[in-house]
Amino acid sequence: MGPVELLHMSVFSQSFSPCGRFLAAGNNYGEIAIFSLSAALSPDATDLSQKPILTFTAHEGPVFTLLSTDTHLLSAGNGEISAWSWVELTKRSTKAVWTRRPNYKSSLEIPEINAMIINPKDNSLIVGGGDNNIHIMDMETGTFKSVLQGHTDYIHCLALKEREGEILSGGEDGAVRIWDSRTRQAVHCIEVFKYEECARPQFGKWISCLATDSDWMLCGGGPSLSLWHLRSMSPTSVFPLAGCQREAVFHQDVIFAVGEGPHVSHCLLGGSVKAQIPCTSPSLNTLALNLSSTEHRVMTAAGSSDKIDVFTNFSYRAFSLSF
Amino acid sequence: MSSDTLKKRKAKVIRSDGGTPETKRGRGEGDQGRFPAGVSNVDQKKLLSVKNKEVRVYNEEVELEGRDPEQDYVLYKSTCDSLAKLMAEIQELKANGAKEGSEEVEEKLRQGCVHFITLKKLNRLAHMRLKKGRDQTHEAKQKVDVLHLQLQNLLYEVMHLQKEIGKCLEFKSQHEEIELVSVDDFLRDAPAEISRPHLTKDDPHQLTLARLDWELEQRKRLAEQYKSSLCSKEKILKGIELKKEYLGSLQPGLHAIMQASLPVQEYLSMPFERVQKQAEVARHLPPPLYVLFVQANAYGQACDKNLSVSISGDVDEAKALSRPPEDSQDDESDSDAEEEQQNTKRRRATVGVQLDDKRKEMLKRHPLSLCIDLKCKDGSVLHLFFYYLMNLNILTVKTKVSASADLSGAVSAGELLNSESLLNCLYASDHGQETPNPANRYQFDKVGIITFADYVSQLGHPYNWVQCLGGLQFSSDRPQAEGACSSLSASHMEATMKLLRGRLQSRLALHKQFGSLEHSIVPVSSECQHLFPAKVVSRLARWTMMSHQDFLELHFVQHVAKAGLVKETDLFFMAIVERGTARLQAAVVLNPRYPEITPLFSLSLLWKGERSGRSDDNLRAMESEVNVFRSELQGPRPGLQLLTNQIQRLCVCLDVYLETESQVCDGSEGPREFPREKMCLRTARGPNRLKPFKYNHPQGFFSHR
Repeated sequence: MGPVELLHMSVFSQSFSPCGRFLAAGNNYGEIAIFSLSAALSPDATDLSQKPILTFTAHEGPVFTLLSTDTHLLSAGNGEISAWSWVELTKRSTKAVWTRRPNYKSSLEIPEINAMIINPKDNSLIVGGGDNNIHIMDMETGTFKSVLQGHTDYIHCLALKEREGEILSGGEDGAVRIWDSRTRQAVHCIEVFKYEECARPQFGKWISCLATDSDWMLCGGGPSLSLWHLRSMSPTSVFPLAGCQREAVFHQDVIFAVGEGPHVSHCLLGGSVKAQIPCTSPSLNTLALNLSSTEHRVMTAAGSSDKIDVFTNFSYRAFSLSF
Repeated sequence: MSSDTLKKRKAKVIRSDGGTPETKRGRGEGDQGRFPAGVSNVDQKKLLSVKNKEVRVYNEEVELEGRDPEQDYVLYKSTCDSLAKLMAEIQELKANGAKEGSEEVEEKLRQGCVHFITLKKLNRLAHMRLKKGRDQTHEAKQKVDVLHLQLQNLLYEVMHLQKEIGKCLEFKSQHEEIELVSVDDFLRDAPAEISRPHLTKDDPHQLTLARLDWELEQRKRLAEQYKSSLCSKEKILKGIELKKEYLGSLQPGLHAIMQASLPVQEYLSMPFERVQKQAEVARHLPPPLYVLFVQANAYGQACDKNLSVSISGDVDEAKALSRPPEDSQDDESDSDAEEEQQNTKRRRATVGVQLDDKRKEMLKRHPLSLCIDLKCKDGSVLHLFFYYLMNLNILTVKTKVSASADLSGAVSAGELLNSESLLNCLYASDHGQETPNPANRYQFDKVGIITFADYVSQLGHPYNWVQCLGGLQFSSDRPQAEGACSSLSASHMEATMKLLRGRLQSRLALHKQFGSLEHSIVPVSSECQHLFPAKVVSRLARWTMMSHQDFLELHFVQHVAKAGLVKETDLFFMAIVERGTARLQAAVVLNPRYPEITPLFSLSLLWKGERSGRSDDNLRAMESEVNVFRSELQGPRPGLQLLTNQIQRLCVCLDVYLETESQVCDGSEGPREFPREKMCLRTARGPNRLKPFKYNHPQGFFSHR
């Protein structure tokens, strides 16, 4: 990887290992890098420990999404999903355990996969991407058992309401659809751009981030980031963030959001922006919280650079991992 | 009492005049003893004056001669005895009670007085005798002295004569040094009138004389022989001269023949003579240049017919240089330092001038230089002039390009063939500004040169590859100025020559391309036509060169600069691509090693506000489309069309950007400024909603990467 390639690198996805000691990150060249958090966070960390312990090419296209199960790392590239054993990865072996491809109809361009989540209730993998449909794969058998159709443009993001077993999806068409995973039908469809308080026609209507917390939903993208009450299907607060947001998460009483602009925004549920923490990348694509391990409890954010910013305390950037 | 004593007494009175101490004492005694004082004295005087008149010719000295000292002594003894007897008698008398002035005593006193007179006389005589003795002794002594002097003179004369004799004995005659023939030979060989055996038989002196005569005779004869030999030598020399002249007259003829044969040699491509001449001159090259000469020649003969090597410069000066054994650098500089010290004390004003001279001396190049001409297929030639800096032990190179075609026209291409920067970074980070020889730093310190870069334009660039070609190797720490090593040169020759040729080709190609770029035409060759759609609406509006400083001031290139991808040796350009109201600025960093290193574009779009690659992911994607996918864009090897293809792709990407952007932007009113003409499968993809910038050739649609 030359300096020019590094200059034009974007990091799209991250996932912490189940043990919380490793971080996987995927970039636009289809590479996945494994970083050792325990090494980077140790007191005697050097520059070298901020480099990946392992970098390998996983897919042809960019790695838009990464997901960790109890044992595996799932990565999605151009129309395919691969699984890598964490145990093998930490031994620096880079052989995919399996690779699956949803049934796509169009053949001219292979649709990308933008989002993946796991539904632990029936151990299925929900995949959304470029073909406007949501594919559900049974993790036991590895077969794609159903397709949720309804979006008119490609799907940006997915979220799950675990208790109700509802799947939320946001797409380029500007709609957030709520699906019942059992009936495979859309229960609701919220066209966010039609709500005046959120709409931002100068950007567009797409929804690029979704997050849920019991009855609450966060969504944003072209429209402003907004907090929705799902039972009443109405926006309760709109966050005055300048750019388009690409990822937002709930963490206790705070919402962390990243997107255009070199900072992580801390928002309060009431609709105010508490802080904007500067980052190294000019815009951010992904934000991840490592909550499974107390000693490596960090937030990481990455975007349009080869750097992954690590926040040990959520209110300032400690250091950056780099490809 | 005899008459003698009487006489004596009288004489004595005359002489002493009654004043001598003896008389006084005697008188005193006498006064006491015999005479009553006063009366006797007057009487005596009367008596004496009478006597003086009577004896006129009395001579005491005559009397002295007649007297015998022995008798005088006896007389003295007897006088003393009788005096003592008298005294004793007087005492006896006195003791017996004789009265003062009694007859007896008076008598005795009178007698005593007589005795005293006798004693006085005796005393006087003794004195006179003593004086006489003294005189005699003195006389004798003088005589002895004269004799002694005579003796000394004689002794001296003897010594002198002895010396003279010695000298004579030691005298060396010249003839002793002459080596004579032995006596036997002489007797045998010499004619009788010289040897004169009857004379010489017994007399060695005569024999020697005769031998000397014989010697003289013989020498005269030899001298004559010598003269005749000289004559014959002269004659032979003349003969040689004549023959030489004849040979000399042959030279021009031969030259003429050689000259006449040159075209034939050329025709048959057998440059015997030129090679010979060059080899002759090459012997005077300094070792590094010689290695370079040999290796370049060898490489040219073996692999590269379009490479030619020639030597230029003053051969005589080089000869003069190579003849005397060079005194070591250190000595020279040491003495320089001393001189310098002295001079600083004496005249400070001229120190600057001297330093200048010293600098000049240090930077002196060898009078011979090497010129390597690399011919390209299209007829343009890269001239490389190699110089050797003798005191710094480094090689430098200057370049010149003579192109086949006319190269005027392109303003922005001015730097491309600039001899200063043409060969910059032939190998990565070989800028040729600083001297590669670590030892030079100390030499520079001595004469106050801060950096070699100040002299580069005058002396040429000391690139590392030039040192390698000359077989000079400097490790970074230790100055390892070992002898020029051919294997090092050989190992670099081929690669370097290829690089040089590649550099020239790329520069010439760029030069040509810049010419059309400045006329807003992006030349796309037929081999690369498939990379771009047939219709490209965006147009290159301007292509200008810019300085490093100006480049760094651009706000949208900061991330490139921060990534360390901008170097001072790079060339910088600004391309402006326009379509309608949109205006795309592209700042281009062109590495000197182009096309091996891809030119780097940084974008800024002025359209509905300003966007740059930093703020807009799509512009960033365009940058990477242009910068990263070199393998697609480089065209036929060695990729001379890379830059123009990049610019063309930039135009295409701008088309896609503008066309898809206006579609996405629903809020705008009225007809779209940029109608959708490009075929795209999807206008956005992925989380950051990238536009389809990848052109798929045969189908002609745009897709995502």
